[in-house]
Amino acid sequence: MISLIHIFIVSVLFCTGYCDSCKNAEISSKSFTTQDATIVTNIAYISEFSVKCGSGSLSHAYADVEGTVVPVFETAPSTFQVSWTEEIKNARRGEIKIRLFDEDGYTALRKALRANEDISTVSPLFSVSVSHPGAFNGPWLKSEFLAVALSVVVAYLALSSRSKLLS
Amino acid sequence: MPPKSSSKPFTKEEELLLQDFSRNVTTKSSALFYGNAFIVSAIPIWLFWRIHMIDVYASLLPFLFVTVASTYLIAIAYKNTKFTLKHKIAVKREDAVAWDLNKKLSEDKKMSKKEKDERILWKKNEVADFEATTFSIFYNNALFLAIVIFASFYLLRSFAPSVNYIFSVGTTAGLLALLSTGSK
Repeated sequence: MISLIHIFIVSVLFCTGYCDSCKNAEISSKSFTTQDATIVTNIAYISEFSVKCGSGSLSHAYADVEGTVVPVFETAPSTFQVSWTEEIKNARRGEIKIRLFDEDGYTALRKALRANEDISTVSPLFSVSVSHPGAFNGPWLKSEFLAVALSVVVAYLALSSRSKLLS
Repeated sequence: MPPKSSSKPFTKEEELLLQDFSRNVTTKSSALFYGNAFIVSAIPIWLFWRIHMIDVYASLLPFLFVTVASTYLIAIAYKNTKFTLKHKIAVKREDAVAWDLNKKLSEDKKMSKKEKDERILWKKNEVADFEATTFSIFYNNALFLAIVIFASFYLLRSFAPSVNYIFSVGTTAGLLALLSTGSK
């Protein structure tokens, strides 16, 4: 009996891995990143993509954002979302590649991680990219600095003309 | 009790001369000083209200007390600065005033030398008084605003706005009044 159950489980796992895997996927993605960093501490990166499989389907996805594995959420049927935040100072700029894996790919990824291998060798199912042009961190010259600088200049003029009068 | 002065009252010239050298200012000048001191003491309220986002209604009492104290202190600073500067300015402008008046009065042959000298003295005094008054206002206002802005934005930045207001404005006005008592 137990061996029958084992066979069943293995066949189900096999099927979810191979029978049903998404092939010839068509991806359309859009992304959002924080543009104004004046009142926030972290930059948010969000990528939302919808997957149209040529054959099979994709139920779970896993993402590798340049070396870090982050979870992927299914927000609607065959629409997924990856999001993460980074501190303003260390926020990456430019094109950020997100590699996406299905269950099989994720297993291979975990295996590579356990073995301390380079995970970039594991080929993804597909990949999307997020472009972050950089966020606005406030004006280069702060207005209070400008106010202080101007008032100090006027005060300097006052002091120097006073010393000229007193000399 | 101080001994009663038995000497004659001062003549008008002596009184004028004394007034020239005294720290007391005329009522007009005093009104100008207090008016200016009030305006410049009240300006930081705007800074704290709009920029530092102080709670205006909760801070009405501090606003009132600090503004009154600061008006008084700045007016003292104006007076002292004016007193220090007036005679220096008088000496500096003496030649120019004499030259200017001599040119103007040169056609008037009837005027005696003494009268001319008196006019020059009077004019010199007036010029020095005006210049010292205006310069004193400019000098103290410039220093006051510069120190208040610097203190409120940098030195006392981490304090609550009302504490920041009381200390930046109060201390600056006190500092100006203290500094003005020095002769250099």
